[in-house]
Amino acid sequence: MRSTGNGSRPPAKEVCRIEPADGNSLIPTEVEDLRVRVQQISLREQIERNHFLLMRLNAANARLIQSLEQGDVFDAIAEIIANLIGSEEVAVFDYHAAEQNFSLAWSTGIEAEALQPFLCGAGMFGRAVQQGMSQFQERQPDGALLPYEKNLTACVILKSSREIVGVVAIFGLLPQKNNLEWADYELLKFVETYGAVAMKFQRLQGIRVSP
Amino acid sequence: MSTKKILLVDDSCTARLVNRMIFSQKSNYVLISAVDGKEAVERAKREKPDLILMDIVMPRMTGLEACRVLKKDRETEKIPVILLTTRGEEQYVQEGYASGCSDYLTKPVNDAELLDLLKAYLGE
Repeated sequence: MRSTGNGSRPPAKEVCRIEPADGNSLIPTEVEDLRVRVQQISLREQIERNHFLLMRLNAANARLIQSLEQGDVFDAIAEIIANLIGSEEVAVFDYHAAEQNFSLAWSTGIEAEALQPFLCGAGMFGRAVQQGMSQFQERQPDGALLPYEKNLTACVILKSSREIVGVVAIFGLLPQKNNLEWADYELLKFVETYGAVAMKFQRLQGIRVSP
Repeated sequence: MSTKKILLVDDSCTARLVNRMIFSQKSNYVLISAVDGKEAVERAKREKPDLILMDIVMPRMTGLEACRVLKKDRETEKIPVILLTTRGEEQYVQEGYASGCSDYLTKPVNDAELLDLLKAYLGE
């Protein structure tokens, strides 16, 4: 998103306009041409969106692989969420399947005290683990959020081969980001699986990054 | 088509990776990078890039401080600096322009918007 200010600006990009000839109505072949052109523009936009998503997935993948060597999986997850999705309020919870409970593994931008209520595993956060599926605030029915979950945007399940290893809680989005978009959901699906693999690997290595 | 050198400054490896991928679409862009403001100032003086794309919140020296230093130096004052940051609050935007930056973009970055902006500054 570009912000306006007093800096010297290059000229704005020209907008392509398609208009009928003066005073004449469009004949069928022109209508067909226009229809094809609109279709082409829409396809091009779709390809560009997919291409951009692929670039972001590629960057996220490279960063997670790098984290396996550096032992900074939590930093990698936070960087992916801040730079590619748009939130700097993130917490990662470990899930202990045998005891069916959580512990806070790492957080940034959120006070540890505010994260305590989540450890009881209720609300949207708890549903994510019970259903083994990531949960998003905008897809929750009315009244389904607990009072302390109002600022919770998403609970992303970290799941490797059906085994839940943790939950990434994403709180407030950056001011310039209104809501999660299509590509964000795709990226979060990637974090679900590959974040879980990285976290599992880190556990196996016995490497822990202090909060 | 002449080659353009862009200095990318960000302490986040993920940001550097994604920007590198965005710029790889343009064969005439050569990318060099720095991980904080201090290194950016040193590299800018040494390598004279055509444009600097810089984060704000970084260790050692912030993007705002680095921008001010670059704009005070005769060797680097004419290099356009685009600040690219998660900080979208009005206060930061104003501070950004006050530091002498040419433009201000917020993350998450949109590749088409970024490439259009670069094209406008670097010309093609």
